Amino acid sequence: MKPENPLLALLALTAGVLFLSPVLYSIWMSFQTADAYYTGKLDFTLSNYEMAIGQYNFARYLLNSVIVSGLVTIVGLAVATMAAFAFARYRFPGGNLMFGAVVATLMIPSHITLIPNYLTLANAGLLDTYAGLILPAISNGFAAFFLRQYIRGIPRALDEAAYMDGATPLQVLWRVIVPIAKPAILSMGLYIFITEWNNYIWPLVAVGREDLYTLQIGLARLYRIDPGEGVINWPLVMAASTITILPVLLGFIFVERHLVRGIMMGAVK
Amino acid sequence: MSAITLKDIRKSYDDGPQVLHGVSMDIGDGEFIVIVGPSGCGKSTLLRLLAGLDPCKEGELLIDGRRANDLPPQDRDIAMIFQNYALYPHMTVLENIAFGLELRKVPKIERIARARDVAETLQLTPYLDRKPGALSGGQRQRVAMGRAMARNSSTFLMDEPLSNLDNSLRVAMRTEIKDLHRQLGATIVYVTHDQTEALSLADRVAVMKDGHLQQFDTPDVIYDQPANRFVAGFLGAPAMNFVSAEQLGGWDAPLDVEIGFRPEALTLHHARPAQPAIEARVALTEMTGSAFILHCDSPGGRMCAVVPRGEALPVEGDQIWLALEPSQALCFDPVTGVRLDMPQTSPDQCRAVLARGAA
Repeated sequence: MKPENPLLALLALTAGVLFLSPVLYSIWMSFQTADAYYTGKLDFTLSNYEMAIGQYNFARYLLNSVIVSGLVTIVGLAVATMAAFAFARYRFPGGNLMFGAVVATLMIPSHITLIPNYLTLANAGLLDTYAGLILPAISNGFAAFFLRQYIRGIPRALDEAAYMDGATPLQVLWRVIVPIAKPAILSMGLYIFITEWNNYIWPLVAVGREDLYTLQIGLARLYRIDPGEGVINWPLVMAASTITILPVLLGFIFVERHLVRGIMMGAVK
Repeated sequence: MSAITLKDIRKSYDDGPQVLHGVSMDIGDGEFIVIVGPSGCGKSTLLRLLAGLDPCKEGELLIDGRRANDLPPQDRDIAMIFQNYALYPHMTVLENIAFGLELRKVPKIERIARARDVAETLQLTPYLDRKPGALSGGQRQRVAMGRAMARNSSTFLMDEPLSNLDNSLRVAMRTEIKDLHRQLGATIVYVTHDQTEALSLADRVAVMKDGHLQQFDTPDVIYDQPANRFVAGFLGAPAMNFVSAEQLGGWDAPLDVEIGFRPEALTLHHARPAQPAIEARVALTEMTGSAFILHCDSPGGRMCAVVPRGEALPVEGDQIWLALEPSQALCFDPVTGVRLDMPQTSPDQCRAVLARGAA
């Protein structure tokens, strides 16, 4: 594709360099030995990765993060999509009130719910479990709100055509609404995944067992580890950070291809 | 095959005005019914009740003699074609057509064969793998038809299916729909606001206004013996002329009626003819192709006359006489609008009225 406007291309390039350079710098740093880094020499080593994965259990943290963020995303999307469909398409007693409540949750900072959530899960005996990490995050008011708005933009005639074709409400949702809303659902999924992936405070509170740590907790712990001379081992931290951002980056590249526009074209005149 | 009976159907939307005021209709098996009326007359609402898309709480809806008020759409064996086509944008033409069969668990090989057959009939075969976005308006319309046809439903509901097409395509599709009806033998209920479509397609036409059924009869009867002034004025292009007897002058009280006559019932004369005629001044001429439409100012107000091509045409401002064959005049009650079939409106008396009016 030829850039339409060279000025715009230059701007995009500058922005790209600005955004990418810290990431690239940290990846480069992760391949240095601590020695080389602090003395300004150039080196190449995989030892930081070996240390992060071997000594500091980052493989396990990665697995935990994938499980937690993955399930939060999948279950959260399923819940939000069904709620959005109901809010967008059905009129039921208390429906508006319920939707108002969902929207109201957007205005409550998560730190306010931190302690109630903690106490609830503690009472349920779910602290120090995957369920404890996952459950509080699957009801996502923003996702429900966002998807409802999107679904409302899909002509109701499509639902009706499907009902005339013999579909049940669930089939309408699954066969008609979801495929059409796919760009919105995938964007939302990416957003949920990244948010959960970066979630630090809740896993910190809900989990005490080391084998349930997520990447963010593990990463924060590295700052507390003394490499010997009272300084932080930055190359090790950067290696761990690279392990942390890589799956998200890959996920984005995968999802981005599906974020196609114009899928509504031709549905209705 | 199915016959549909509507008994005193009423409908009002939540906290809105009543849109249907007791509509009753008997639709025979295999009949082609066109419901026609101006915007907001309740014709689409009626169709949605038939489809089961809106709940039918007042009145009775019978399909093949069985009460169907509470049947969900998928259990009614009814296919519907929407005004805006409502094609599934993420499915190809083939998938769109086969979707209904898939939901009914028809085996894949069978449903694809069936969808291909339908596409063949509708000349859609070259487009089977395209998505609706890559089709023209006419092709989308065909896909919408195909989707309805694939299921072999006994009843088709069509909600202004041709209103988004350009004129030539509309005329072509009209013929195709008529052909299709002959082939399928299905019951068709077709909603439109286009009176030409109504008259040309229907076995019987239902004319609606403000949620009331005005008349339900064959196109011939609707056109020649409209039940009231509204029906008379709504069907026919250009519209029927109405002249109050009073405006024409000399109409006695018991004969206080409104006279209606179609533009094609008038004949043009450049000098006062022997037969009863209305004196008028030409205000505007319109060419329609096969004929001219004269818009004239007369003592009874603006009226239209259709003049075949080839006749000497007056120019704007000319004085002319429009002769009326009295047998073609209809009389309406000026208050209720109901057509009067009274002895005092015999051709002779109409003639007398018109003669006096023209004098």
